[in-house]
Amino acid sequence: MNAQQQPASDTGRVGISPGSSIAPTESRSWSLSNFCKTPFGCLLNLFLMRMFQGSSDSSSDEFNLGVGVILTVLAIPGLFISLLMFEKYGTFIQFLRGAPPLDPFVAAIPDEYFFLVLSVVVTGAATLWRWDAIFLDRRDYANLVPLPVPLKTLFAANFSAVFILAGVFAIVVNAASIILFPIVVVGSQSSLTLLFRFAAGHAVEILIASVFSFFAVFAIAGALMSVLPAQLFRRVSLLVRFIIAIGLLLLLATVFTVPDLLEHSKASVIKTLVELPPVSFLGIARTVWGRGNEPFVAHMTAAALLALAATIAIATISYGLSFRRVFLRTPEVSDAGALPRLHFSLLLFPFIGKWILRSPPKRACFNFALSTLLRSEAHLQTVLAFAALGLVAAAESLNSPQGIKSLITAAHPTIEFLAVPFILSYTLIAGIRFAFEMPAELRANWIFLMWFPGDGRDTRPIARRVIHTLTTSWLVPATWVVTLRFFSPTEAVIHAAILFACNAVFVEILLSNFRKIPFTCSYPAFESHSGIVLVAYLFGFLLLTEYIPELEHWSIADPIRTLVFLPLLAAPIAGVHLYRSQLLAMDKSLIFEDAPSSTL
Amino acid sequence: MLEANTLSKFYGSVPAVREVNFRLEPGQVLGYLGPNGSGKSTTVKMLTGLLEPTRGEVLYRHENINKDLSAYRRHLGYVPEEANLYPYLTGEEYLDMVATLRSMPDAKRHHRIQSLLELFSLHPHRHVTIGNYSKGMRQRILVIAALMDNPDVLILDEPFSGLDVTSSLVLKSLIQSLSRKGKAVFFCSHVLEVVEKVCSQLIILRKGHVIAYGPATEVVAKIGQSSLEGTFLQLVEDRDVSQIAADIAEVIAAA
Repeated sequence: MNAQQQPASDTGRVGISPGSSIAPTESRSWSLSNFCKTPFGCLLNLFLMRMFQGSSDSSSDEFNLGVGVILTVLAIPGLFISLLMFEKYGTFIQFLRGAPPLDPFVAAIPDEYFFLVLSVVVTGAATLWRWDAIFLDRRDYANLVPLPVPLKTLFAANFSAVFILAGVFAIVVNAASIILFPIVVVGSQSSLTLLFRFAAGHAVEILIASVFSFFAVFAIAGALMSVLPAQLFRRVSLLVRFIIAIGLLLLLATVFTVPDLLEHSKASVIKTLVELPPVSFLGIARTVWGRGNEPFVAHMTAAALLALAATIAIATISYGLSFRRVFLRTPEVSDAGALPRLHFSLLLFPFIGKWILRSPPKRACFNFALSTLLRSEAHLQTVLAFAALGLVAAAESLNSPQGIKSLITAAHPTIEFLAVPFILSYTLIAGIRFAFEMPAELRANWIFLMWFPGDGRDTRPIARRVIHTLTTSWLVPATWVVTLRFFSPTEAVIHAAILFACNAVFVEILLSNFRKIPFTCSYPAFESHSGIVLVAYLFGFLLLTEYIPELEHWSIADPIRTLVFLPLLAAPIAGVHLYRSQLLAMDKSLIFEDAPSSTL
Repeated sequence: MLEANTLSKFYGSVPAVREVNFRLEPGQVLGYLGPNGSGKSTTVKMLTGLLEPTRGEVLYRHENINKDLSAYRRHLGYVPEEANLYPYLTGEEYLDMVATLRSMPDAKRHHRIQSLLELFSLHPHRHVTIGNYSKGMRQRILVIAALMDNPDVLILDEPFSGLDVTSSLVLKSLIQSLSRKGKAVFFCSHVLEVVEKVCSQLIILRKGHVIAYGPATEVVAKIGQSSLEGTFLQLVEDRDVSQIAADIAEVIAAA
């Protein structure tokens, strides 16, 4: 037995005084490597790694980006937008346009708001992405609690990691705009003081907005964790993230309207508006710029700081509560077992599968694919993210200057009205197709490897039916019902039929070279044409949600014109058939893993 | 050295473990047996201080372990039932982290980790992330993590899970050798042959109750069976296992 383990013989008590486990064994000068060798530093390091790298058990199943890539992705929006601003503020361009000189502190307000929203949205999205990695979990409990480390050290290390993560997000997300935007706006003016003052106001404002966004999401997660039973929290957390994602997208949609509202609304409306985050954060920059005495600015600054303080306080309290209520009770929850699952939602699937697929192995794959999509958190999260995009885009489409009422009281369906189901279809179908590429549990693949009797051609019908079951099956009837409610039966039938046909064509195109059982293959490698595929998706979105509704609007005026859709939709189907007929047999064969085995 | 006094755990009104008493002395290996759901893992969690008993207490050297958990855990090596490790750490990094958290001195830590990795045939894979380890490799990492600070008490929950033949034989001999060196070993397993070979004491649990406790040979003799397998089946299983097997075969063969 070594000296450290010697019991305190004089008292008969076990072990050593509290805290001695974290005391260094010899006196050393402070350095990062020495700090990492202390229990606190070691834990801090571990938790930061987890926050950046996720905690999936199988390295091949989770799409883990390196820290560098994550930080680059977070920094790109700010960099891109800042560069675009050169066009607006460049003095040479202004001169060519014959525009009068700008007052940067006034002219920059809409763009300041844009950067604020961008900062809130990107940081919020990043926090949502790392939602599960922020709090201590079952794995931490199993590995760390049995060790001689005081719980307060665990608590403090993870909480410190959370603060560091918030700081890193805030700096990375805003780094480009902190440097570039002030240069873009006031760089051409000869005063360095002016540049620094503008930069300071801008930096403080968006950094605080980022921190606010991080802790707002963190506070929501912590509060839910503290209030709800652990099992229920796991279930609702996905829904909550979906709602927050929609909120963030809606916030992004306000970047063009809010500055306009601030300029043209009544004083009472403005007064309410400026006290809401993130509008109130505009006050911070204006205060730093020395314009604190302008109307509403003091209100805005006070509201922003209050919101920040309240969010951090709620996040801290809820984190403490969740630590006590959830983390420390981890073994009790695991022993007590899970809540009974709600199976009713999946009861229908075997029935549908039996009806639409004749072969038992295909039916088995169909049921597997549907269950995975609806039960696997990562897959459902992906589909919901696309659905959120669709919902926001659809809401934007309906948000006409004349108001939503004008869309349903018109004599014929407007283009905006017609576009809504196409937007929802497109985003959902694309989301599901994207999710098909995400492996669920590669180690469980052996069952398909051994017993799936078909080849690559047999997997397309499965994928096709899964997509249609989750999209077309309810979107087309819903479209018909809603159109019928406000317009004529003929228009309802035409609208629903065109949506059905477009969905069918779109799915055929997306599955043209599909030869996997969904979720059973490792992530596809990045190929040289991946960029083109992305552009094609964007073009497809434009085509299906802008041009098709326009064409439909034109054809609804005279139903005979709908015949124009026949060649238009037949052409891509013929193209897909031609493409597939030219594929070699090896390009149609079923694939499972094109990556090395995950196990040594 | 380690004592359980009327140890009980209830989840709400549902009992998981009821009135478990035992005493584990240095040099003893206590086998803890029971069917699934009998309360073995709950007992292990209470012994490691992960779970607080509803009633009763766990004593280490006559002191309640909850008085100073950190100090107790410094004397404890624990192999949990599941190898739930951090997949993004390499085997060496994980062990280094455990050693740091156990406040092992730098010099000793490095030497011991390297030696144990070598002896457990993991040295060539020490820089590979645990996410890429096989089940047996993860299990070996857990065993090393439990042993490397030379604990006085070892709590092993299904330590043979996933181990290959050589590693299993090594671990079996290791348990015996550690007990000879005065370590107290609490050993949960379903592998009755190993339990029979390495355990000096035996507890058999059923629905949270201790139904047999004593020296292994005495427990077997008392029940009147020639082997531990027969003893176990007689004590915990109401049904005839041969009959169950025959019924299963019949169901499979049925048209």
